[in-house]
Amino acid sequence: MILKPRLEDIKIIGYYLGKIMVALGFTMLVPIAIGLAFGEINPVLDFIIGTEIALIFGLILIKLCFTEKELSWMQGMIVVSLSWIAAMLLGAIPLYLSGHWKSYLDACFDAMSGFATTGLVLVQDLDHLSYTHNLWRHLIMFIGGQGIVIVALSFFVRGFSGAFKMYVGEARDERVMPNVIHTARFIWLVSIVYLILGTLALGVVAMLNGIKPANAFFHGACIFMAAFDTGGFAPQSQNVLYYHSFLFEIITVIIMILGALNFKLHYHLWVGNRREIFKNIETKTLFITILITFCITAFGLAQIGSYPKALVLFRKGFYQLISGHTGTGFMTIYSRQFINEWNQFSLVGVICAMALGGAVCSTTGAIKMLRVGIIVKALKQDLKRIILPERAIVVQKFHHIKEVFIEDKQARSALLITLAYLVLYGLGAIIGMLFGHPFLDSLFESTSAAANVGLSCGITTVDMPVTLKLTYILQMWAGRLEFMSVFTLIGFFIAAIKGKK
Amino acid sequence: MRVKSFVHVTLGITTEVLYALCIMLAAFLICAALYLNK
Repeated sequence: MILKPRLEDIKIIGYYLGKIMVALGFTMLVPIAIGLAFGEINPVLDFIIGTEIALIFGLILIKLCFTEKELSWMQGMIVVSLSWIAAMLLGAIPLYLSGHWKSYLDACFDAMSGFATTGLVLVQDLDHLSYTHNLWRHLIMFIGGQGIVIVALSFFVRGFSGAFKMYVGEARDERVMPNVIHTARFIWLVSIVYLILGTLALGVVAMLNGIKPANAFFHGACIFMAAFDTGGFAPQSQNVLYYHSFLFEIITVIIMILGALNFKLHYHLWVGNRREIFKNIETKTLFITILITFCITAFGLAQIGSYPKALVLFRKGFYQLISGHTGTGFMTIYSRQFINEWNQFSLVGVICAMALGGAVCSTTGAIKMLRVGIIVKALKQDLKRIILPERAIVVQKFHHIKEVFIEDKQARSALLITLAYLVLYGLGAIIGMLFGHPFLDSLFESTSAAANVGLSCGITTVDMPVTLKLTYILQMWAGRLEFMSVFTLIGFFIAAIKGKK
Repeated sequence: MRVKSFVHVTLGITTEVLYALCIMLAAFLICAALYLNK
Protein backbone atom coordinates (compact mmCIF):
# COMPACT_ATOMS: atom_id res chain seq x y z
CA MET A 1 0.00 0.00 0.00
CA ILE A 2 1.37 3.41 -0.98
CA LEU A 3 0.92 6.16 1.60
CA LYS A 4 0.11 9.72 0.57
CA PRO A 5 2.96 12.10 1.56
CA ARG A 6 2.19 14.14 4.67
CA LEU A 7 2.40 17.92 4.88
CA GLU A 8 5.36 17.38 7.22
CA ASP A 9 7.26 15.59 4.39
CA ILE A 10 6.70 18.52 2.05
CA LYS A 11 7.79 21.00 4.73
CA ILE A 12 11.06 19.17 5.39
CA ILE A 13 11.80 18.91 1.66
CA GLY A 14 10.95 22.59 1.17
CA TYR A 15 13.14 23.68 4.09
CA TYR A 16 16.27 21.91 2.86
CA LEU A 17 15.60 22.87 -0.75
CA GLY A 18 15.40 26.49 0.40
CA LYS A 19 18.80 26.17 2.10
CA ILE A 20 20.39 24.86 -1.08
CA MET A 21 18.78 27.65 -3.13
CA VAL A 22 20.27 30.23 -0.75
CA ALA A 23 23.67 28.55 -1.13
CA LEU A 24 23.30 28.75 -4.92
CA GLY A 25 22.45 32.43 -4.65
CA PHE A 26 25.69 33.02 -2.75
CA THR A 27 27.77 31.22 -5.40
CA MET A 28 26.68 33.92 -7.88
CA LEU A 29 28.75 36.38 -5.84
CA VAL A 30 31.88 34.91 -7.48
CA PRO A 31 31.00 36.02 -11.04
CA ILE A 32 29.83 39.35 -9.60
CA ALA A 33 33.31 39.89 -8.12
CA ILE A 34 34.99 38.86 -11.39
CA GLY A 35 32.64 41.08 -13.39
CA LEU A 36 33.50 44.07 -11.20
CA ALA A 37 37.22 43.29 -11.60
CA PHE A 38 36.86 43.25 -15.41
CA GLY A 39 34.58 46.33 -15.37
CA GLU A 40 31.62 44.48 -16.90
CA ILE A 41 28.70 46.34 -15.33
CA ASN A 42 25.80 44.95 -17.40
CA PRO A 43 26.72 41.30 -16.83
CA VAL A 44 27.12 42.06 -13.11
CA LEU A 45 23.54 43.33 -13.06
CA ASP A 46 22.38 40.03 -14.60
CA PHE A 47 23.98 38.18 -11.69
CA ILE A 48 22.62 40.57 -9.07
CA ILE A 49 19.13 39.79 -10.41
CA GLY A 50 19.94 36.07 -10.38
CA THR A 51 21.24 36.21 -6.80
CA GLU A 52 18.20 38.16 -5.61
CA ILE A 53 15.76 35.68 -7.16
CA ALA A 54 17.65 32.70 -5.66
CA LEU A 55 17.79 34.33 -2.21
CA ILE A 56 14.14 35.43 -2.27
CA PHE A 57 12.81 31.99 -3.24
CA GLY A 58 15.25 30.22 -0.91
CA LEU A 59 14.43 32.39 2.10
CA ILE A 60 10.67 32.13 1.46
CA LEU A 61 10.96 28.32 1.43
CA ILE A 62 13.05 28.33 4.61
CA LYS A 63 10.57 30.64 6.36
CA LEU A 64 7.43 28.81 5.20
CA CYS A 65 8.76 25.31 5.77
CA PHE A 66 10.88 25.86 8.89
CA THR A 67 11.46 22.60 10.73
CA GLU A 68 14.03 21.06 13.04
CA LYS A 69 13.29 17.50 12.00
CA GLU A 70 15.92 15.33 10.35
CA LEU A 71 15.68 14.21 6.76
CA SER A 72 14.57 10.67 6.04
CA TRP A 73 16.15 8.72 3.16
CA MET A 74 13.19 9.43 0.89
CA GLN A 75 13.16 13.14 1.73
CA GLY A 76 16.95 13.40 1.22
CA MET A 77 16.71 11.84 -2.22
CA ILE A 78 13.85 14.16 -3.23
CA VAL A 79 15.69 17.25 -1.98
CA VAL A 80 18.68 16.26 -4.15
CA SER A 81 16.68 15.65 -7.32
CA LEU A 82 14.72 18.90 -6.85
CA SER A 83 17.91 20.82 -5.99
CA TRP A 84 19.35 20.01 -9.40
CA ILE A 85 16.21 21.25 -11.14
CA ALA A 86 16.18 24.39 -8.98
CA ALA A 87 19.87 24.91 -9.76
CA MET A 88 19.15 24.66 -13.47
CA LEU A 89 16.27 27.15 -13.29
CA LEU A 90 18.20 29.64 -11.14
CA GLY A 91 21.56 29.20 -12.87
CA ALA A 92 19.92 29.85 -16.25
CA ILE A 93 18.59 33.30 -15.22
CA PRO A 94 21.85 35.29 -15.63
CA LEU A 95 22.68 33.28 -18.76
CA TYR A 96 19.35 34.14 -20.38
CA LEU A 97 19.65 37.80 -19.36
CA SER A 98 22.96 38.03 -21.28
CA GLY A 99 21.08 37.75 -24.59
CA HIS A 100 23.36 34.99 -25.88
CA TRP A 101 20.70 32.32 -25.53
CA LYS A 102 17.75 32.27 -27.90
CA SER A 103 15.21 31.28 -25.24
CA TYR A 104 15.03 30.58 -21.51
CA LEU A 105 14.80 26.86 -22.37
CA ASP A 106 18.13 27.10 -24.21
CA ALA A 107 19.67 28.80 -21.16
CA CYS A 108 18.21 26.02 -18.97
CA PHE A 109 19.71 23.44 -21.36
CA ASP A 110 23.18 24.96 -20.96
CA ALA A 111 22.74 25.38 -17.19
CA MET A 112 21.79 21.70 -16.79
CA SER A 113 24.60 20.77 -19.16
CA GLY A 114 26.95 22.72 -16.90
CA PHE A 115 25.71 21.46 -13.54
CA ALA A 116 25.59 17.86 -14.80
CA THR A 117 29.12 18.34 -16.25
CA THR A 118 27.94 17.37 -19.72
CA GLY A 119 29.19 20.08 -22.05
CA LEU A 120 26.54 20.17 -24.78
CA VAL A 121 25.87 23.81 -25.66
CA LEU A 122 23.18 25.95 -27.26
CA VAL A 123 24.90 29.29 -26.63
CA GLN A 124 25.12 31.71 -29.53
CA ASP A 125 28.13 33.85 -30.39
CA LEU A 126 30.16 32.33 -27.55
CA ASP A 127 33.32 34.12 -28.69
CA HIS A 128 31.80 37.45 -27.63
CA LEU A 129 30.31 36.33 -24.32
CA SER A 130 31.43 38.41 -21.31
CA TYR A 131 34.11 37.14 -18.89
CA THR A 132 31.49 37.17 -16.13
CA HIS A 133 29.07 34.86 -17.95
CA ASN A 134 31.87 32.67 -19.24
CA LEU A 135 33.19 32.24 -15.72
CA TRP A 136 29.69 31.36 -14.51
CA ARG A 137 29.37 28.66 -17.21
CA HIS A 138 32.57 27.08 -15.94
CA LEU A 139 31.84 27.65 -12.29
CA ILE A 140 28.53 25.81 -12.50
CA MET A 141 30.49 22.95 -14.02
CA PHE A 142 32.88 23.04 -11.06
CA ILE A 143 29.97 23.18 -8.60
CA GLY A 144 28.11 20.39 -10.39
CA GLY A 145 31.24 18.28 -10.59
CA GLN A 146 31.77 18.41 -6.84
CA GLY A 147 28.02 18.09 -6.35
CA ILE A 148 25.60 20.90 -5.57
CA VAL A 149 24.90 19.41 -2.16
CA ILE A 150 28.65 19.08 -1.48
CA VAL A 151 28.97 22.83 -2.06
CA ALA A 152 26.15 23.48 0.39
CA LEU A 153 27.61 21.04 2.90
CA SER A 154 31.11 22.48 2.65
CA PHE A 155 30.63 26.19 2.77
CA PHE A 156 27.15 27.45 3.30
CA VAL A 157 25.29 25.20 5.66
CA ARG A 158 26.09 24.61 9.30
CA GLY A 159 24.73 21.77 11.41
CA PHE A 160 23.22 20.00 8.45
CA SER A 161 21.33 16.96 9.64
CA GLY A 162 20.78 14.12 7.21
CA ALA A 163 23.85 15.18 5.24
CA PHE A 164 24.83 11.62 4.33
CA LYS A 165 21.40 10.91 2.86
CA MET A 166 21.76 13.83 0.48
CA TYR A 167 25.37 12.94 -0.25
CA VAL A 168 24.26 9.45 -1.34
CA GLY A 169 21.37 10.91 -3.31
CA GLU A 170 23.86 12.84 -5.39
CA ALA A 171 25.37 9.59 -6.70
CA ARG A 172 28.24 9.63 -4.21
CA ASP A 173 27.89 6.33 -2.42
CA GLU A 174 31.43 6.28 -1.09
CA ARG A 175 32.64 8.23 1.89
CA VAL A 176 36.32 9.17 1.71
CA MET A 177 36.36 9.92 5.44
CA PRO A 178 34.03 8.76 8.20
CA ASN A 179 32.40 12.18 8.44
CA VAL A 180 30.50 13.29 5.36
CA ILE A 181 31.30 16.99 5.90
CA HIS A 182 35.03 16.14 6.08
CA THR A 183 34.59 14.07 2.91
CA ALA A 184 33.01 17.06 1.17
CA ARG A 185 35.88 19.27 2.30
CA PHE A 186 38.51 16.76 1.14
CA ILE A 187 36.87 16.70 -2.29
CA TRP A 188 37.24 20.48 -2.37
CA LEU A 189 40.86 20.25 -1.19
CA VAL A 190 41.75 17.94 -4.10
CA SER A 191 39.89 20.18 -6.54
CA ILE A 192 41.50 23.40 -5.29
CA VAL A 193 45.05 21.93 -5.30
CA TYR A 194 44.57 20.74 -8.87
CA LEU A 195 42.84 24.02 -9.80
CA ILE A 196 45.99 25.94 -8.85
CA LEU A 197 48.39 23.51 -10.57
CA GLY A 198 46.20 23.04 -13.66
CA THR A 199 45.50 26.75 -14.12
CA LEU A 200 49.20 27.55 -13.87
CA ALA A 201 50.18 24.86 -16.38
CA LEU A 202 47.45 25.74 -18.89
CA GLY A 203 47.91 29.48 -18.38
CA VAL A 204 51.66 29.30 -19.08
CA VAL A 205 51.10 27.21 -22.23
CA ALA A 206 48.40 29.62 -23.40
CA MET A 207 50.83 32.53 -22.83
CA LEU A 208 53.52 30.72 -24.82
CA ASN A 209 50.98 30.46 -27.61
CA GLY A 210 50.57 34.21 -27.68
CA ILE A 211 47.53 34.83 -25.47
CA LYS A 212 47.88 37.87 -23.16
CA PRO A 213 48.68 36.96 -19.49
CA ALA A 214 45.32 37.88 -17.89
CA ASN A 215 43.41 36.20 -20.69
CA ALA A 216 45.73 33.18 -20.66
CA PHE A 217 45.13 32.48 -16.98
CA PHE A 218 41.40 33.13 -17.36
CA HIS A 219 41.32 30.54 -20.15
CA GLY A 220 43.55 28.26 -18.06
CA ALA A 221 41.15 28.41 -15.09
CA CYS A 222 38.07 27.88 -17.28
CA ILE A 223 39.58 24.97 -19.20
CA PHE A 224 40.85 23.41 -15.97
CA MET A 225 37.40 23.56 -14.36
CA ALA A 226 35.85 21.99 -17.44
CA ALA A 227 38.55 19.30 -17.71
CA PHE A 228 38.87 18.25 -14.07
CA ASP A 229 35.13 18.23 -13.58
CA THR A 230 34.85 16.33 -16.85
CA GLY A 231 32.49 19.01 -18.15
CA GLY A 232 33.68 20.10 -21.56
CA PHE A 233 32.69 23.77 -21.80
CA ALA A 234 35.35 26.07 -23.23
CA PRO A 235 35.53 29.87 -23.42
CA GLN A 236 35.70 29.76 -27.24
CA SER A 237 33.27 28.28 -29.75
CA GLN A 238 36.01 26.12 -31.29
CA ASN A 239 36.50 24.42 -27.93
CA VAL A 240 40.07 23.10 -27.38
CA LEU A 241 40.76 23.26 -31.13
CA TYR A 242 41.04 27.04 -30.62
CA TYR A 243 44.44 26.67 -28.93
CA HIS A 244 46.13 24.60 -31.70
CA SER A 245 48.69 23.36 -29.19
CA PHE A 246 49.84 19.77 -28.71
CA LEU A 247 51.16 20.58 -25.22
CA PHE A 248 47.82 22.11 -24.26
CA GLU A 249 46.09 18.94 -25.44
CA ILE A 250 48.49 16.70 -23.45
CA ILE A 251 47.86 18.71 -20.26
CA THR A 252 44.08 18.59 -20.73
CA VAL A 253 44.25 14.81 -21.30
CA ILE A 254 46.12 14.42 -17.99
CA ILE A 255 43.57 16.62 -16.18
CA MET A 256 40.65 14.72 -17.74
CA ILE A 257 42.09 11.40 -16.54
CA LEU A 258 42.71 12.82 -13.05
CA GLY A 259 39.10 14.02 -12.98
CA ALA A 260 37.92 10.52 -13.85
CA LEU A 261 39.64 9.00 -10.81
CA ASN A 262 37.83 8.21 -7.57
CA PHE A 263 38.23 10.85 -4.84
CA LYS A 264 38.81 7.99 -2.42
CA LEU A 265 41.75 6.89 -4.57
CA HIS A 266 43.09 10.47 -4.57
CA TYR A 267 42.92 10.39 -0.78
CA HIS A 268 44.79 7.09 -0.45
CA LEU A 269 47.46 8.20 -2.90
CA TRP A 270 47.83 11.49 -1.06
CA VAL A 271 48.37 9.82 2.32
CA GLY A 272 51.13 7.59 0.99
CA ASN A 273 49.30 4.45 -0.17
CA ARG A 274 50.65 4.80 -3.72
CA ARG A 275 50.52 1.11 -4.63
CA GLU A 276 46.74 1.42 -4.63
CA ILE A 277 46.84 2.79 -8.19
CA PHE A 278 48.29 -0.53 -9.46
CA LYS A 279 45.88 -2.74 -7.51
CA ASN A 280 42.58 -0.86 -7.63
CA ILE A 281 39.90 -2.48 -9.76
CA GLU A 282 38.82 0.92 -11.13
CA THR A 283 42.24 2.05 -12.37
CA LYS A 284 42.88 -1.37 -13.90
CA THR A 285 39.47 -1.45 -15.60
CA LEU A 286 39.84 2.15 -16.80
CA PHE A 287 43.23 1.36 -18.34
CA ILE A 288 41.88 -1.73 -20.13
CA THR A 289 38.62 -0.18 -21.37
CA ILE A 290 40.41 2.93 -22.68
CA LEU A 291 42.79 0.77 -24.68
CA ILE A 292 40.06 -1.57 -25.99
CA THR A 293 37.77 1.26 -27.08
CA PHE A 294 40.72 3.17 -28.55
CA CYS A 295 41.76 0.08 -30.52
CA ILE A 296 38.26 0.01 -32.07
CA THR A 297 38.33 3.75 -32.86
CA ALA A 298 41.93 3.76 -34.11
CA PHE A 299 41.34 0.71 -36.30
CA GLY A 300 38.28 2.37 -37.82
CA LEU A 301 40.13 5.63 -38.46
CA ALA A 302 43.17 3.85 -39.91
CA GLN A 303 40.83 1.85 -42.16
CA ILE A 304 39.41 4.93 -43.88
CA GLY A 305 42.70 6.82 -43.70
CA SER A 306 41.26 10.06 -42.34
CA TYR A 307 44.55 10.90 -40.67
CA PRO A 308 47.79 10.38 -42.58
CA LYS A 309 50.23 9.96 -39.65
CA ALA A 310 50.28 8.12 -36.31
CA LEU A 311 50.73 11.39 -34.42
CA VAL A 312 47.69 12.95 -36.10
CA LEU A 313 45.63 9.84 -35.34
CA PHE A 314 46.75 10.13 -31.72
CA ARG A 315 45.94 13.84 -31.52
CA LYS A 316 42.54 13.54 -33.15
CA GLY A 317 41.42 9.97 -32.45
CA PHE A 318 42.75 9.48 -28.94
CA TYR A 319 41.79 12.98 -27.82
CA GLN A 320 38.11 12.55 -28.71
CA LEU A 321 38.17 9.01 -27.29
CA ILE A 322 39.63 9.98 -23.92
CA SER A 323 37.38 13.01 -23.83
CA GLY A 324 34.41 10.65 -24.31
CA HIS A 325 35.62 7.97 -21.91
CA THR A 326 36.25 10.42 -19.08
CA GLY A 327 32.92 12.09 -19.80
CA THR A 328 34.50 15.47 -20.54
CA GLY A 329 33.43 16.36 -24.06
CA PHE A 330 36.37 18.51 -25.15
CA MET A 331 36.76 18.42 -28.92
CA THR A 332 39.67 19.07 -31.24
CA ILE A 333 37.55 18.44 -34.32
CA TYR A 334 34.28 20.00 -35.49
CA SER A 335 31.02 18.17 -34.69
CA ARG A 336 30.21 17.28 -38.28
CA GLN A 337 33.63 15.70 -38.76
CA PHE A 338 32.39 12.77 -36.68
CA ILE A 339 29.84 12.11 -39.40
CA ASN A 340 31.78 13.22 -42.47
CA GLU A 341 35.30 11.97 -41.69
CA TRP A 342 34.87 9.14 -39.17
CA ASN A 343 33.43 5.79 -40.16
CA GLN A 344 30.82 3.85 -38.18
CA PHE A 345 33.43 1.56 -36.64
CA SER A 346 35.34 4.46 -35.10
CA LEU A 347 32.09 6.04 -33.87
CA VAL A 348 31.12 2.77 -32.15
CA GLY A 349 34.44 2.90 -30.25
CA VAL A 350 33.67 6.42 -28.98
CA ILE A 351 30.06 5.52 -28.13
CA CYS A 352 31.25 2.51 -26.06
CA ALA A 353 33.83 4.72 -24.32
CA MET A 354 31.18 7.35 -23.52
CA ALA A 355 28.79 4.72 -22.22
CA LEU A 356 31.38 3.32 -19.78
CA GLY A 357 32.61 6.52 -18.08
CA GLY A 358 35.16 6.94 -15.27
CA ALA A 359 35.37 5.95 -11.63
CA VAL A 360 32.61 6.08 -9.02
CA CYS A 361 32.87 9.01 -6.60
CA SER A 362 34.52 11.06 -9.33
CA THR A 363 33.08 13.87 -11.43
CA THR A 364 32.23 11.62 -14.37
CA GLY A 365 28.87 10.17 -15.35
CA ALA A 366 27.85 6.91 -17.08
CA ILE A 367 28.06 3.28 -15.97
CA LYS A 368 31.45 3.67 -14.28
CA MET A 369 34.47 1.47 -13.82
CA LEU A 370 33.65 -0.13 -10.46
CA ARG A 371 30.40 -1.51 -11.86
CA VAL A 372 32.05 -2.74 -15.04
CA GLY A 373 34.76 -4.43 -12.95
CA ILE A 374 32.20 -6.03 -10.60
CA ILE A 375 30.10 -7.32 -13.52
CA VAL A 376 33.16 -8.88 -15.20
CA LYS A 377 34.26 -10.48 -11.90
CA ALA A 378 30.74 -11.77 -11.21
CA LEU A 379 30.62 -13.25 -14.70
CA LYS A 380 33.97 -14.94 -14.05
CA GLN A 381 32.59 -16.31 -10.77
CA ASP A 382 29.52 -17.75 -12.50
CA LEU A 383 31.63 -19.33 -15.22
CA LYS A 384 33.83 -20.95 -12.58
CA ARG A 385 30.71 -22.30 -10.86
CA ILE A 386 29.72 -24.01 -14.12
CA ILE A 387 33.17 -25.34 -14.99
CA LEU A 388 34.35 -26.48 -11.54
CA PRO A 389 32.88 -29.51 -9.71
CA GLU A 390 29.61 -28.80 -7.91
CA ARG A 391 31.18 -29.22 -4.48
CA ALA A 392 33.82 -26.56 -5.16
CA ILE A 393 33.40 -23.33 -3.25
CA VAL A 394 33.84 -20.47 -5.69
CA VAL A 395 34.75 -17.06 -4.32
CA GLN A 396 35.72 -14.02 -6.32
CA LYS A 397 37.23 -10.89 -4.89
CA PHE A 398 38.40 -7.53 -6.13
CA HIS A 399 40.63 -4.81 -4.75
CA HIS A 400 39.07 -1.45 -4.09
CA ILE A 401 41.06 0.19 -1.30
CA LYS A 402 40.73 -3.16 0.48
CA GLU A 403 40.03 -6.71 -0.63
CA VAL A 404 36.29 -7.19 -1.16
CA PHE A 405 34.51 -10.50 -1.78
CA ILE A 406 31.84 -10.23 -4.45
CA GLU A 407 28.33 -10.72 -3.12
CA ASP A 408 25.25 -11.30 -5.22
CA LYS A 409 23.67 -8.01 -4.08
CA GLN A 410 26.70 -6.04 -5.35
CA ALA A 411 26.52 -7.72 -8.75
CA ARG A 412 22.74 -7.17 -8.86
CA SER A 413 23.06 -3.49 -7.99
CA ALA A 414 25.83 -2.99 -10.60
CA LEU A 415 23.78 -4.77 -13.26
CA LEU A 416 20.60 -2.80 -12.44
CA ILE A 417 22.31 0.58 -12.75
CA THR A 418 24.03 -0.57 -15.95
CA LEU A 419 20.69 -1.68 -17.35
CA ALA A 420 19.11 1.65 -16.39
CA TYR A 421 21.87 3.51 -18.25
CA LEU A 422 21.50 1.30 -21.32
CA VAL A 423 17.74 1.93 -21.35
CA LEU A 424 18.36 5.67 -21.01
CA TYR A 425 20.86 5.66 -23.91
CA GLY A 426 18.41 3.64 -26.01
CA LEU A 427 15.36 5.81 -25.24
CA GLY A 428 17.22 8.97 -26.19
CA ALA A 429 18.37 7.33 -29.42
CA ILE A 430 14.78 6.35 -30.30
CA ILE A 431 13.54 9.90 -29.68
CA GLY A 432 16.38 11.24 -31.85
CA MET A 433 15.34 8.85 -34.61
CA LEU A 434 11.76 10.09 -34.32
CA PHE A 435 13.07 13.46 -35.50
CA GLY A 436 14.72 11.93 -38.55
CA HIS A 437 18.30 11.42 -37.37
CA PRO A 438 20.12 8.19 -38.35
CA PHE A 439 20.42 5.52 -35.64
CA LEU A 440 24.15 5.85 -34.95
CA ASP A 441 24.04 9.67 -34.84
CA SER A 442 21.06 9.54 -32.45
CA LEU A 443 22.74 6.96 -30.24
CA PHE A 444 25.94 9.03 -30.20
CA GLU A 445 24.15 12.20 -29.09
CA SER A 446 21.88 10.37 -26.64
CA THR A 447 24.78 8.52 -25.00
CA SER A 448 26.71 11.77 -24.85
CA ALA A 449 23.84 13.49 -22.99
CA ALA A 450 22.92 10.63 -20.65
CA ALA A 451 26.53 9.78 -19.81
CA ASN A 452 27.24 13.49 -19.20
CA VAL A 453 29.94 13.63 -21.86
CA GLY A 454 29.24 16.53 -24.22
CA LEU A 455 30.70 15.29 -27.50
CA SER A 456 28.32 16.15 -30.31
CA CYS A 457 27.97 14.88 -33.85
CA GLY A 458 25.91 17.92 -34.77
CA ILE A 459 22.40 17.08 -33.56
CA THR A 460 22.56 19.51 -30.64
CA THR A 461 21.90 22.88 -32.22
CA VAL A 462 19.78 25.89 -31.37
CA ASP A 463 17.26 24.81 -34.00
CA MET A 464 16.65 21.31 -32.69
CA PRO A 465 13.06 20.58 -31.63
CA VAL A 466 11.92 21.50 -28.10
CA THR A 467 11.08 17.83 -27.37
CA LEU A 468 14.66 16.83 -28.12
CA LYS A 469 16.01 19.64 -25.94
CA LEU A 470 13.78 18.48 -23.06
CA THR A 471 14.81 14.85 -23.66
CA TYR A 472 18.49 15.70 -23.39
CA ILE A 473 17.89 17.85 -20.28
CA LEU A 474 16.13 14.89 -18.61
CA GLN A 475 18.88 12.51 -19.72
CA MET A 476 21.60 14.78 -18.32
CA TRP A 477 19.71 15.11 -15.02
CA ALA A 478 18.89 11.40 -14.59
CA GLY A 479 22.34 10.31 -15.77
CA ARG A 480 24.14 12.61 -13.33
CA LEU A 481 22.07 11.53 -10.33
CA GLU A 482 22.33 7.83 -11.25
CA PHE A 483 18.59 7.25 -11.15
CA MET A 484 17.86 6.56 -7.46
CA SER A 485 16.94 10.14 -6.56
CA VAL A 486 15.00 10.47 -9.81
CA PHE A 487 13.08 7.24 -9.21
CA THR A 488 12.34 8.36 -5.64
CA LEU A 489 10.95 11.68 -6.93
CA ILE A 490 8.75 9.86 -9.44
CA GLY A 491 7.58 7.52 -6.65
CA PHE A 492 6.81 10.53 -4.47
CA PHE A 493 4.57 12.07 -7.15
CA ILE A 494 2.82 8.75 -7.73
CA ALA A 495 2.25 8.45 -3.97
CA ALA A 496 0.87 12.00 -3.89
CA ILE A 497 -1.70 11.08 -6.57
CA LYS A 498 -2.51 7.46 -5.81
CA GLY A 499 -1.45 7.03 -2.17
CA LYS A 500 -3.86 6.45 0.70
CA LYS A 501 -4.09 8.72 3.74
CA MET B 1 44.85 8.82 8.32
CA ARG B 2 45.09 12.51 7.46
CA VAL B 3 46.60 14.41 4.58
CA LYS B 4 49.45 16.13 6.40
CA SER B 5 52.64 15.51 4.50
CA PHE B 6 53.58 17.75 1.60
CA VAL B 7 55.90 15.00 0.31
CA HIS B 8 53.09 12.43 0.31
CA VAL B 9 50.78 14.79 -1.55
CA THR B 10 53.48 15.60 -4.13
CA LEU B 11 54.29 11.93 -4.66
CA GLY B 12 50.58 11.11 -4.84
CA ILE B 13 50.04 13.72 -7.55
CA THR B 14 53.13 12.45 -9.42
CA THR B 15 51.76 8.88 -9.31
CA GLU B 16 48.43 10.05 -10.74
CA VAL B 17 50.12 12.02 -13.53
CA LEU B 18 52.35 9.04 -14.36
CA TYR B 19 49.25 6.84 -14.58
CA ALA B 20 47.73 9.26 -17.09
CA LEU B 21 51.00 9.38 -19.07
CA CYS B 22 51.11 5.55 -19.18
CA ILE B 23 47.62 5.51 -20.74
CA MET B 24 48.73 8.06 -23.32
CA LEU B 25 51.91 6.13 -24.12
CA ALA B 26 49.97 2.90 -24.59
CA ALA B 27 47.50 4.68 -26.89
CA PHE B 28 50.33 6.21 -28.91
CA LEU B 29 51.94 2.78 -29.31
CA ILE B 30 48.62 1.50 -30.72
CA CYS B 31 48.64 4.36 -33.26
CA ALA B 32 52.27 3.67 -34.15
CA ALA B 33 51.58 -0.06 -34.54
CA LEU B 34 48.66 0.63 -36.87
CA TYR B 35 50.78 2.83 -39.14
CA LEU B 36 53.82 0.51 -39.06
CA ASN B 37 51.65 -2.21 -40.57
CA LYS B 38 50.65 0.00 -43.49
